[in-house]
Amino acid sequence: MVERLATSAMGTRFEFVLSGEPRGSLRSVGEMAIEEVVLWHQRLSAFASDSLVSHINRTAGDEPVRVDADVWELFVLCDEVWRASDGAFDATIGGAMQGAGFHPGDGAPSRGWGDCVALNAEVRSVRFTHQGVRLDFGAVAKGFALERAAAILREHGVRSALLHGGTSSVVAIGAPPSEDGWRVAVRSDAEPRMVTLRDRAMSVSAPRGRRNSDGHGHILDPRTGASAGNADTAAVLCARADLADAWSTALVVLGKRPAGMPGDAESLIHTGRCWEEMTSAESPDDFREVA
Amino acid sequence: MQTRRDFVVQTAGALSVMALMPQFLPIAHASAEPLGVALIGAGRQGRAILGELQKMESVKILGICDSEESRMTSGVRRVHGAEGFTDHKAMLEKLSGLKAVIIATPTHLHRQIVVDCLAAGKHVYLEMPMAHTVEDCRAIAEAAAKSSALVFHSGLEGRSNPIYKLARTFFRSDAVRDVVAVEAQHYQKTSWKFPASDPAREKAVNWRLDPEVSLGLAGEMGVHQFDVAFWYLDRLPTAVSGGGAIRLHNDGRTMADTIHCGLRFENGVHMNYAASLANSFEGRHETLRGSNAAIKLAWSAGWMFKEADAPTQGWEVYANKQVFHNEDGITLIADATKLASQGKLKEGVGLPHPSLYYALGDFVASVSDGKPSVCDAAAGARASIVAILAAQAVVKDAEVKIDPELLKV
Repeated sequence: MVERLATSAMGTRFEFVLSGEPRGSLRSVGEMAIEEVVLWHQRLSAFASDSLVSHINRTAGDEPVRVDADVWELFVLCDEVWRASDGAFDATIGGAMQGAGFHPGDGAPSRGWGDCVALNAEVRSVRFTHQGVRLDFGAVAKGFALERAAAILREHGVRSALLHGGTSSVVAIGAPPSEDGWRVAVRSDAEPRMVTLRDRAMSVSAPRGRRNSDGHGHILDPRTGASAGNADTAAVLCARADLADAWSTALVVLGKRPAGMPGDAESLIHTGRCWEEMTSAESPDDFREVA
Repeated sequence: MQTRRDFVVQTAGALSVMALMPQFLPIAHASAEPLGVALIGAGRQGRAILGELQKMESVKILGICDSEESRMTSGVRRVHGAEGFTDHKAMLEKLSGLKAVIIATPTHLHRQIVVDCLAAGKHVYLEMPMAHTVEDCRAIAEAAAKSSALVFHSGLEGRSNPIYKLARTFFRSDAVRDVVAVEAQHYQKTSWKFPASDPAREKAVNWRLDPEVSLGLAGEMGVHQFDVAFWYLDRLPTAVSGGGAIRLHNDGRTMADTIHCGLRFENGVHMNYAASLANSFEGRHETLRGSNAAIKLAWSAGWMFKEADAPTQGWEVYANKQVFHNEDGITLIADATKLASQGKLKEGVGLPHPSLYYALGDFVASVSDGKPSVCDAAAGARASIVAILAAQAVVKDAEVKIDPELLKV
């Protein structure tokens, strides 16, 4: 039995394909997962005035904002990746996105996550060190929402599913019937690469696609506010979609794999005319070519 | 380039559109000690409630109760310092410092929980509909009336929504003038069905599809939108008709997934209501038509569509142009001159929080400041009783007369 579900969220289309017979009906489990994506769209949107992110952006410059455990996990993840990527991933990029004309507003590049955001783990609160900080989780939100949705599916016994958000972030649960994994193509300026995913997440970032009025790509280097272009395409495979999402953006900015990247996250970077494949020693077959 | 003819045609054909923006007063309370609250019912709505309560510095969430342990545990994990319970009576006994409860359990379980909470001396915020039977609605309203020292807040969110409050002042002025008709809709695409591993759990989690205890779309969704009409018109209907069908979710259920209702008021005004779980186009909104303008309310935003022959209002000088569907219109933002002088006119568009935040904020303010609820038990009971009768009309595919005595709560 196969169920397909879809929703519009985060400026793109999320699509889930579920296979099998879990407890209860497959469709109702899928709907719960879809609703989770919609919930995170509502909470993390930098465009909706009534989202949690807009609330934090308005308030955290004046006083600490308490957040729930789920949102706290997102902040911890953003903190970790910011540190490990030498600032190439930075969720305080909202001001720079405004300055470059991708988002409405008159913001400017931030001083960097570490100088802007103070986290208090004891009470799980977030505070900005100064006014004008603009959080934008656009580089991690799809992966974060997919990760939460996948957790719901697994919790309800789904053993085979493929979830994607805008075809750039993917979570594979198990494999399709009679297959060894879900086959996914990574497109770039060169020929596409096929990867097979099984209980694994993947995210792909590329500066092409959306551009501002000056023709610059939508991925900015948070450290300079300039368009990033050190890689044409970067793909990251790892256990968690949120980590994959954040790291794929960082790799487009960096153009190479930094030392601080987690060992179990595998990377595939396309620069110029060739693919640079950097995988952990444990499972190099994840990039097995099938085409 | 626009020709004169284009201009004339557009001007004659276009209705003016104004986005109504309220002034946003922060929810702040003088009392130094945060209000100790607990949530009973940690399902989907309960999760949303926790999210909004955690924004309020004046509130401390002490307890989370759900008869299903996994939901309770999820709630406790999300809220720093909250204690979990699977029995509301045990929670009421054990939690010291607990002053108020927010109840978001399935509708048919409200009555006993409300009675227990009021008897324990707790202020109550109750999600709507109030109950699934007229008898339970009346019992809850009576219990609230007997506990007059305690705040009872019926969770009809429109009454707390700043946009709805502002739009109501326009609705009751010459800007809209004589009421013509009311329309409302709730459209979404979802099955309303949760996964269940056995029949007992099926009955518990899929209570909204159980005709014995659920009011279906007319009750669960309609009550909030019916109440907007009652509040704006300041009157209750004398009859309600309805009908429904299963248009998509043919999975063994008997509860209609698509319904329509008609509410008649004694002054000749009619409210058309449509709801479905089979299509999501244009979601949820209410439109109130007057002879000078129509107001469209969509929970996080509101607009006024002026008739071409309506008199120009003084506040229109603050309006700027906005494209809405195929019409050129004007946007109106309250406090527009102040925002414009700060270069922040565009930042005034859109509510800063969901409606739920304002409803919970009104409840907390009533408890903290000792003020009467902006939506008391009687208002909740009246709207819920109409919703119960609407649900009956949908099942019968007929018109149900509303005895005014029934609504005297």
